[in-house]
Formats: sequence, structure tokens, C-alpha cells
Amino acid sequence: MTRSHAVALTALAAILIVGTTGIVSAWSAPFGAPHPVAAMPTSSLMGWIFAEQAAFYRSLSRFILAAKEDGTAMWELFGISFVYGVFHAVGPGHGKAVISSYLVANEETWRRGVVLSFVSAAIQSIVAIIVVAIAAVLLGATAKAIGLTVHLVEITSYALVILIGLRLLYVKGRGFLIACRELSWQQAPDLAFAAAPTVKSPSAATFRLSEGRPGAMAMRGAQCQIDGCTAHAHGFQCHHDHEHHESAWGHAHAPEPAMLAGTGGWRRGLAAVVAVGLRPCSGAIIVLIFALAQDLFWTGVGATLIMGLGTAVTVAGIATVAVGARGLASRVAQTQAGLGMFVMRAIEVGAAALIVAFGILLLAGYMASERLWVFTG
Amino acid sequence: MIKCTCCSCAILLSLLSINHAEAHPHVWVTFHSEVLYAADGTMTGVRHAWTFDEMFSAYALQGISHAKKGQYTRQELASLAQTNVDSLKEYDYFTYARADDGKKLKFADAVDYWLDYKKAALTLHFTLPLKAPASAKAIKIEVYDPSIFVDFEFAKDGPVSLSGAPQCVVSYDLPHQPTPAEQARLSQLDAVPLDSSSTYGEIFANKILVKCP
Repeated sequence: MTRSHAVALTALAAILIVGTTGIVSAWSAPFGAPHPVAAMPTSSLMGWIFAEQAAFYRSLSRFILAAKEDGTAMWELFGISFVYGVFHAVGPGHGKAVISSYLVANEETWRRGVVLSFVSAAIQSIVAIIVVAIAAVLLGATAKAIGLTVHLVEITSYALVILIGLRLLYVKGRGFLIACRELSWQQAPDLAFAAAPTVKSPSAATFRLSEGRPGAMAMRGAQCQIDGCTAHAHGFQCHHDHEHHESAWGHAHAPEPAMLAGTGGWRRGLAAVVAVGLRPCSGAIIVLIFALAQDLFWTGVGATLIMGLGTAVTVAGIATVAVGARGLASRVAQTQAGLGMFVMRAIEVGAAALIVAFGILLLAGYMASERLWVFTG
Repeated sequence: MIKCTCCSCAILLSLLSINHAEAHPHVWVTFHSEVLYAADGTMTGVRHAWTFDEMFSAYALQGISHAKKGQYTRQELASLAQTNVDSLKEYDYFTYARADDGKKLKFADAVDYWLDYKKAALTLHFTLPLKAPASAKAIKIEVYDPSIFVDFEFAKDGPVSLSGAPQCVVSYDLPHQPTPAEQARLSQLDAVPLDSSSTYGEIFANKILVKCP
């Protein structure tokens, strides 16, 4: 591996490290007690975004009231809602970190990243609308009941994120262990074979020679993954093994280009975005109820959906950058089959671990701060 | 291509690190506070009147039954006021008091609480009694939400006042934008955490200061 290649891979690894330090610093906050200063934006760009989204959010009430007097003000409201969504998604809680990590871990295409971002944002808006429609419009529930509902949905969402992360971590961890073995096999073949005589190392050479099938199902999946990532693609081998690990949860390997349109892949991706998107945005709930109080529920619904569209644009942008970074790193890694592959597997494991960590932190309440129930129980 | 990788990594890095920042405020409170003194010159508590923004007021009023459209009586709002103070307890009522010797003054549970509704805005009135009356010469009371989900702002018209202490003077101080030095400290917080005696977080608080001779 050339020096510049190493630099590029190190840079990608740095992303994971920064993501992790975020988590560690969130953890270091005293239990229960919020971190007063973490609340402040840490750069002038962030400060600007922070101020803008707060201003946009506050102006929403003005535009809703204006829409009550004059129907054409509705279009202004929708415009503001869109811009607010774009800014707001930069803040936490809109799944950009989880979705990006998921895309990196799963070797997804940017196209799918964009689609998943939009689906997640749409789910988020629709959940907010459903909660308000059922609880407030149909049942006439109080803010206390709505806050409790949102809290429960949120907990479910975070628990699902943890589950999806754990599954990914399990699958990717196996791929990583195999890459480890292969690396050591390449460096000291005799020793590696002596240490693990039953493992058929999935290097190009072994694949060409090996006629027999490796034993464990998941192991085979991981082999395919490694194979797909290296320059010497043995796609046929993967497809060959396909019938043996078809279940959605046991689906160990990253999609082959031909597989991307397959239903199994979409199902997995959708599970991830549903988990992320379940959590409704507090702002959307408040806006919807405010609109309802003005007898403008449908205007609120429109504003919420457009807010979601704005959110999707930001999340999709971030997801595209994540997928692009991974794609470039993977091309760099291909130039050096052994170490490159090992680094790619390490990045995937790291991304999967990040999803689990994000989920745990969100569940424990260290990263989320939209406490809709602060005054209303 | 290498440049490209590094470039996209840098973008991703900065975007993901935004997780440090918290969400923006969703509730705005403009408040009046009255610092209460007993006849013997000791401070006994704080009386707050917090007015919520109209969006959050509408949210809080959701599902509250009332006889006249657009009007709520104190009785109709009694259960909501109860819910409010019960919930606020968990957040220490966002009110933190300190004597001039640096000692924290502890508040007991809120008393005399009620809500009123005027001009599409709810106002929560409540009194926080001190657990033990304080006789310090200078007392500082801060009102803020450390997670900034709630934005607190002094009301425009005489936001602070004193009750029962004609000899004392009350003043207030707005939170300020962090100075370059504070900003620098902020960026190091992950590596160099604050120690427990640090008062750094106070720069983001609304401060009420009472000085007595």
C-alpha cells in the first residue's frame, strides 16, 4: 500500500474515532445531570445554524396565524417549513448518524442512501401526524398523554436501533475476524494454518483452488463479503452460496451490485430507516397541535410533510458523503488485497459498533434533549 | 482520488461531530421573578411567573376542557398547573441559587401554583421556598435550562423585584455570547472536563443578584 493510500484510509478511520469521541464525551457527563456547556454550539457555523433554526421555528407560529387570515400565506409557511427542515436535520435526532453509519457498514449505494434518507424523514413526519391525529383530533388527549406516547415511540425506536446495530455488529464482526485470519495467513501462511486448520481462508488463491464448501453458513456469508470487496471478484461464488443464507436477519453479506434491487436488501434497509424514523420530531408535534388549535390542522399536516422533505435533503446529503467516502476508501483498499480488506472490515465493524453506541446513548437519554414532557409530565 | 477521499472525510467528520450540539429550544419562557425576604432580613424563597410562547401554550392546553372557546379559568387549568410543577421538580425548577460564600441554597417543592391564560399565552405562577432561610449578604439566583430545550428570557418590564427587603438591592444580568477565551475553553471540554467547583456553565444563565448591606 502506498503512503497516500494509507493516508486516505487513516482519514476514514478518523471519522469513526470522532464519532466515538462524541459518544464518549456524552457518556462522561455526570449521570442524570445535563452537560450545561455541551448545549452551546461549538463553532461559528454551528452557532449560525443553531440561531437560524431557532428563528425559523419561532416564525412558524406567525406564519400559521397569517395563514388563518389569508390563504396565500400558506405558501410562505410551506417555504419556511422546508428551510426549517433543512437546518433542523443538522441537529441531533434525525438519524443522520445512524443512517450514515448503517450505509457505511453495509456497503450501500448512494442511490439507496438517498432513498432511505427520504423514507426515514417521511416516516418521521407521518408518525408525528398520526400521533396528533389519533391522540389530539380523535381522542382529545392532553399534552401529558401525547408526551407519554411520543416518549414510548421514542424508546421503541432507540431499542430497534440497538437491535439493528447488534445484528450488524455480529455479522460484520465475523467478517472482520476472517479478514484478520486472512491477513495473518498472508503474512505467515504456515502459522495461520497451524493455528486454525479447519478454517478455509478466503483469499483469491484458496478460492480458486477450493472446491469444497466452508462449513458454517454465516462464515460463508462473510467470505463473500471479503471477496466482493477485493479486486478479484468472485461474484459467482457468492451467488452460488446464496440459497443457504436467504433469511433477512441472517443475510450476512453486503449486496452485490446485481442484488441491490433485490427485495431482501430493501427489506433490511427499510428495517433500519423505520427504526430511525419512528421517533417523531418534537417540533412537528408542537406545530401540528398549534395548527389544530387554530382550526388549521391540514395546513399543519402540509407544513409537517414539507418540513420532513427539508430534513430528508440534509440527511440524504450527509448520507451521500458517507457512501462516497466509503466507496473511495474501498477503491483504495482494493489496491492492496490483504491490509486494505482488513481496514475495510475494521471500518464496517466500527460503523456497526457506532450504531449500537448511538442507540444505547439515545435510549439512556444522553444524546436526545427534545424533552417534550418537560412541563407536562 | 486521495484528495477526494480526504475531502469527503473532512466534510463527513464535521457533519457527524455536530452530534455534540443539542437541539434548539422548542419552548420559550419570558419570566418575572420576585425574591422573597422575611421580616428578619433572611431570604425565604423565589416567586416566579413564567409566560410560555403561544405555540407551546397551545400544545400544553391540548385536551384541557373549558367552558368558553378561547378562555380558560384558573380552576380549569388547575390540573395542568399541578402537572407542570410536578414535572419541573425533576429539573430543579430550572432555578439555582447560591450564597456569596459559594454555598448552594436548596429549594423545597413548589407551593402556591396556578396558571392563567391571557393573549394566547399561558403563565405559570409558583413559589419556591428555600429549605432553610438564607442570611447571606449577597445571593445569586440563576434561571436556565442546561439542555436549552427551554429558552428562558427576562421579561421586558421590570423582570426582577424584591419582597420584604427594602434595604437590599436587586439587579439582573443577561446571559452573554461566549467571549473568544470562553469559546476556546468550550472547544476543549471533551479533552479537559470541568471540575465540580467550576462555574463555567453560568455564562449561559439568566442571573438575578441580590445585595444587602
